[in-house]
Amino acid sequence: MLSAPAARAFLLLSWISSISALYFHIGETEKKCFIEEIPDETMVIGKYRTQLWDKQSGSFLPATPGLGMHVEIKDPDTKIILSRQYGSDGRFTFTSHTPGEHQICLHSNSTKMALFAGGKLRVHLDIQVGEHTNNYPEIAAKDKLTELQLRVRQLLDQVEQIQKEQNYQRYREERFRMTSESTNQRVLWWSITQTLILIITGIWQMKHLKSFFEAKKLV
Amino acid sequence: MTPVRRFLCAWLVSLPLAWDSCGVQAAFSQAMDSDFTLNLPAGRKECFYQTMKRDASMEIEYQVLDGAGLDVDFSIFSPSGQLLFNDQRKSDGVHTVETEDGDYMFCFDNTFSTVSDKLVFFELILDNMDTDEDPENWKEYVHGIDTLDMKLEDIMDTINNVKARLSKSVQIQTLLRAFEARDRNIQESNFERVNFWSVVNLVVMVMVSGVQVYLVRSLFEDKKKIRT
Repeated sequence: MLSAPAARAFLLLSWISSISALYFHIGETEKKCFIEEIPDETMVIGKYRTQLWDKQSGSFLPATPGLGMHVEIKDPDTKIILSRQYGSDGRFTFTSHTPGEHQICLHSNSTKMALFAGGKLRVHLDIQVGEHTNNYPEIAAKDKLTELQLRVRQLLDQVEQIQKEQNYQRYREERFRMTSESTNQRVLWWSITQTLILIITGIWQMKHLKSFFEAKKLV
Repeated sequence: MTPVRRFLCAWLVSLPLAWDSCGVQAAFSQAMDSDFTLNLPAGRKECFYQTMKRDASMEIEYQVLDGAGLDVDFSIFSPSGQLLFNDQRKSDGVHTVETEDGDYMFCFDNTFSTVSDKLVFFELILDNMDTDEDPENWKEYVHGIDTLDMKLEDIMDTINNVKARLSKSVQIQTLLRAFEARDRNIQESNFERVNFWSVVNLVVMVMVSGVQVYLVRSLFEDKKKIRT
């Protein structure tokens, strides 16, 4: 059993090394955005790691000092809730206060063209939402839990997240239903109005042309 | 025990402990399930890469949530560059790949569309990735001892079972969320379409009516002028 400080030290060191993650290539001025649709009061943790293409060795260098990524996060009302620069390896976290589509955008802050020089930047990205953000070793240390208690705690967190998501789903479905009903009503009323306008226009045309012909003494 | 033996004993005991703690440094490892939603601009192709080990499996599920036509091209390439799957203009799809060592590349292609952006959601489910470590070996971090050691194993099994089922629930929930988002986007675009075309309809009707009256009148007025 490790003591709490030792455990924390391990975890701090741990995120620097890597095993496997989804990665993609990004150009110098390119901005990559991801959308996360989440309920309110949900924590999101994003971790990224960058590598730069090195022409001399013909491979990707493990870490590029001096090259950072700018992270910008917008809430569903397109208001910016986080706009910060991080280093070549970074970890950003935010908690949503309104439910909806949050947008997470990344772009590199490189101002020197030489750094990229026709190469690309490889970004490893991992975004964790809700219950997955919980750090169970840390919780075990803080609350002094036995293994059984820890596992039950994890189950409880998981169920709570599912319940939150379901509540949000109900809210979204209600919005969906309102839009549907509004559309259907508009289609109905517009069809009726259109028919009436057609009839009225037809009658007006006939009347006007008849009086016109009578005025011109043709009829 | 001789000092050498004592040292060897201590070393042998500490080795698995060190190995275990290394294993728990799950580090910047990606969780086994992850999903991303991204906006694919018109005429662009976006590719993602995933490093895999041998004898693991990777399942990719994707859906187009928004964008006229709701379709996108999708392809998966093996680490050796061989094309494994190619979907042309599909709205959603799921593919499972039994993997070897290397980086798999999968791409979403919107180059066939010149005007409309596509909102694409995809989910990656990885299995059997950590063959040599247990990511949830929390034995070093817990305090205290659980009594009822005999029954503990049964309880642990049940808990693991529940956890697996809950994970499956979460996956299904993510899927349902994507379906709902897509349906909602379809409905909202219907709404806007109805509004727009109704107004256009009204304007055209009134204009046509006015133009018809004017034309017929002008026919007769010209004739009158010619006669006199």
